[in-house]
Amino acid sequence: MPATDSSSAATSVGRSFLSLRRDHHNHIPSDPHHSNSSDLHEIDAFQRHAADLLNDLVLSVSDSDSDDPFLSLAWTRRLLDSFLICLEEFRAILLGLGLAGGDLARPPLDRLLHDFLDRAVKVLDLCNALRDGLDLIRQCRKHLVIAAAALSSSSDSAAPRGEAQIRRARKALTDLTILMLDDKDVSGGGQRNRSFGRATRDSSASHGHGHHRRSSSGGSSGSGSGSHLRSLSWSVSRTWSASRQLQAIGGGLTVPRAHDVAATGGLASAVYTMGAVLFAVAWALVAAIPCQDRGLQAHLATVPRSFPWAAPLTTLFDRILDESKKKDRKHSCGLLKEIHQIERCSRQLIEVTDTAEFPLPDDKDAEVQEATQELLQVCDSLKDGLDPLERQVREMFHRVVRTRTEILDYLSRPHNATG
Amino acid sequence: MCNDRTNSSDAVEDAAAAAAATVEEDDSVSTSVGRRSSYRSLRSIREIDLLPAEAISDLHAIASRMAAAGYGRECVQVYASVRKPAVDSALRRLGVEKLSIGDVQRLEWEVLEAKIRRWIRAARAAVRGVFASERRLCFLIFHDLPLSTSTTNATATHDAPFAEAVKGAALQLFGFAEAISIGRRSPEKLFKIIDLHDAIADLLPDVSDIFAASKAGESIYVQAAEIRSRLADAVRGILSEFENAVLRDPSKTPVPGGTIHPLTRYVMNYSSLISDYKTTLSELIVSRPSACSRIAPEGNENAPSFPDLDLADPDSQLPLAAHLIWIIVVLEHNLESKASLYKDAALSHLFIMNNVHYIAHKVKDSPELRGLIGDEYLKQLTGKFRQAATRYQRTAWLKILNCLRDEGLHVSGGFSSGVSKSALRERFKAFNAAFEEAHRVQSAWYVPDTQLREELRISIAEKLLPAYRSFLGRFRHHIENGRHPELYIKYSVEDLETSVTDFFEGCPPSLHNRRRSHG
Repeated sequence: MPATDSSSAATSVGRSFLSLRRDHHNHIPSDPHHSNSSDLHEIDAFQRHAADLLNDLVLSVSDSDSDDPFLSLAWTRRLLDSFLICLEEFRAILLGLGLAGGDLARPPLDRLLHDFLDRAVKVLDLCNALRDGLDLIRQCRKHLVIAAAALSSSSDSAAPRGEAQIRRARKALTDLTILMLDDKDVSGGGQRNRSFGRATRDSSASHGHGHHRRSSSGGSSGSGSGSHLRSLSWSVSRTWSASRQLQAIGGGLTVPRAHDVAATGGLASAVYTMGAVLFAVAWALVAAIPCQDRGLQAHLATVPRSFPWAAPLTTLFDRILDESKKKDRKHSCGLLKEIHQIERCSRQLIEVTDTAEFPLPDDKDAEVQEATQELLQVCDSLKDGLDPLERQVREMFHRVVRTRTEILDYLSRPHNATG
Repeated sequence: MCNDRTNSSDAVEDAAAAAAATVEEDDSVSTSVGRRSSYRSLRSIREIDLLPAEAISDLHAIASRMAAAGYGRECVQVYASVRKPAVDSALRRLGVEKLSIGDVQRLEWEVLEAKIRRWIRAARAAVRGVFASERRLCFLIFHDLPLSTSTTNATATHDAPFAEAVKGAALQLFGFAEAISIGRRSPEKLFKIIDLHDAIADLLPDVSDIFAASKAGESIYVQAAEIRSRLADAVRGILSEFENAVLRDPSKTPVPGGTIHPLTRYVMNYSSLISDYKTTLSELIVSRPSACSRIAPEGNENAPSFPDLDLADPDSQLPLAAHLIWIIVVLEHNLESKASLYKDAALSHLFIMNNVHYIAHKVKDSPELRGLIGDEYLKQLTGKFRQAATRYQRTAWLKILNCLRDEGLHVSGGFSSGVSKSALRERFKAFNAAFEEAHRVQSAWYVPDTQLREELRISIAEKLLPAYRSFLGRFRHHIENGRHPELYIKYSVEDLETSVTDFFEGCPPSLHNRRRSHG
């Protein structure tokens, strides 16, 4: 679904300003070895379009009003849409040039393209890791569903929740909390945790189960299921790191030299733009979605203001970094808004059910009911949002592979083969 | 655990987890799929009982109770979380590794080839053994239970616990094949990638049987199908890349002795292998080579203009066959460039003769290759190397044979008058010098094929010896009546005959003096 339909007043100012630059280009006679004005125009348009898309993503109105608040699942889908649009335009520019007889394999363009392709290939592993992260969220949702089912399945809806229901819901929620613990504690400890879980189970089994046991901390009530939950671990190897991957994607991406820009007819700027967009999208995805060794230290060398997308790109990084530093989000396993909702709802419900009195007094019961409703809403919003996002991440994978293959083909073709 | 305070969720779950886990700990049955003896490639689905029948009926009873009590979701959760490590370790025992795409890109192709081989065996066991058995287990426990796993009324399939348990491992398994399918396309990879493609294509029906029933599992099947398709693309791309590589192979230094160029051997071996793999390749290669007839040779003015790919009856010919012929056309074109590197034109022709002969020979030797390329083209190749042989002879021997001509030796108009003795002496000297030069140089040339070598020598001898014999016969007495005849008549016909056997040996003539004094 195209994300640019809403671009309007906010971005048209930027557009008209930038169009002044466009009119400066003279008409150069068509020559496959020199860019003509329409090539430069395309490259310019591409950069401006990227700027527009980024602007739309960061200039979102306040959260309560919008359909897709910043860092929500819907917003993340727009982020991916924007990336796919940019990639498609970039690809069209390159292929168009190839068809017109231009030579992609001439230095310095070949070097720049190979560099871009190396970065692009690193995004593929990230796509696979993100799939795991989305699966984790799906697992979380399942726990929520259990808790909600436990608390709403009252045969006599007038009666307050019983102890069994509360216990069942609390167990599901504590399992959920364990699941969402920041993965830094887990990576490399899969084996350890499993045996830890078993030991806990054995010890708690020998202690028996009394109603006095209140599960305030996550681990002890795990009854072994903590170990089972942890076994739903990442499918990447233990040494794989999203943070390192990001550094590889963005590291060394430098502003093209004026000499290179001239020698490639402006294409060097297009390649640089696409590389920056690739990095920004990857970075934002890692910020939002849980993955192994999520670190946001990687950053781009400063982008000169002459690039129209420089400002919105910086804003994107800044806004996400701000979010990551907030007190209640610092230790979250992912910055997705929905994850925040899960955390809040489950925490709230655990607090509200932290009681020794059964049956529940009416006011408590009302609180529980309210909290349950919120939980159900979160479940719903997750249900419809996760699958499409997973499909899009897979689509990103496919398109990156396809673009890479096509460019590699072009680069290895014999010189002056006309298509 | 017999506390009468209702704590059903904990107790039931614990019981289920304990039951499943203890069985997991000592079930040696589930390891049998991974044992060495099971490594022989599974040709079809072979489900094994992962747990003994008693355990299964216990588990079924437990699951029924939980589902009836409304704890279906927890039951599925526990089941999946217990089976998942079992599946993971089964795959590990089969040798499935956790390699990222980055890891695969960094590995040398030789290493990858070995991994592909192991993967193919492991994948067959994993899909047809491990996954099939897991599905059966899940079925035995859950098939008749009212499981609801979502907040809406959507009916969950009874495969859901199985899909949960197995999905991660399946994605990891196919992840390796996917990483291979997106690697760089270089010619050396062709045949292993065809192997991998075939293995996956072979597995797809089973993957479909096992996974396509559930929504969660469907994505596995889709991914496997995508990977097969990508591998097919890779095969096509690699073939193209190979054709380009042959076209672009640089010609720097000429191969000594005009013998068979390593490129020729490589290309013909490659082509033989292509014909060996023709079953799959005929299916995958569906279009004719796109690059033909429009590529101008790059920067080599001496190379002949690029021939059109002139094929008989495009409709009846397999695209694969068109590619094979194209490969040979491209090879020949490249060989022309390489031939032009020789300063001696005769050696150029010899080089072409050797190489085209080798091509024709390899085609004739391989029934598959010959069947694909066709006798028509084979005839053309044969004609070409014979033509090269003729050109060689003309270029190398014309000058020498001209020394043995009649013209220019007679002084006045009639035959009876004198022969110019000085001219005759010059002729003999010229012949000797030219022949010695040829002998010295061309002994170092090499014709690898024994039969061809013999034929060439015989052909030379057939022209040289009678001419020399007749020349000697007519004019020797003029020299023998003069001074120092041995300076001019250095060789007997027998000497020449013997010397011709030195030609094309690939090494300089022996230092043993072959000249014998006449007479």
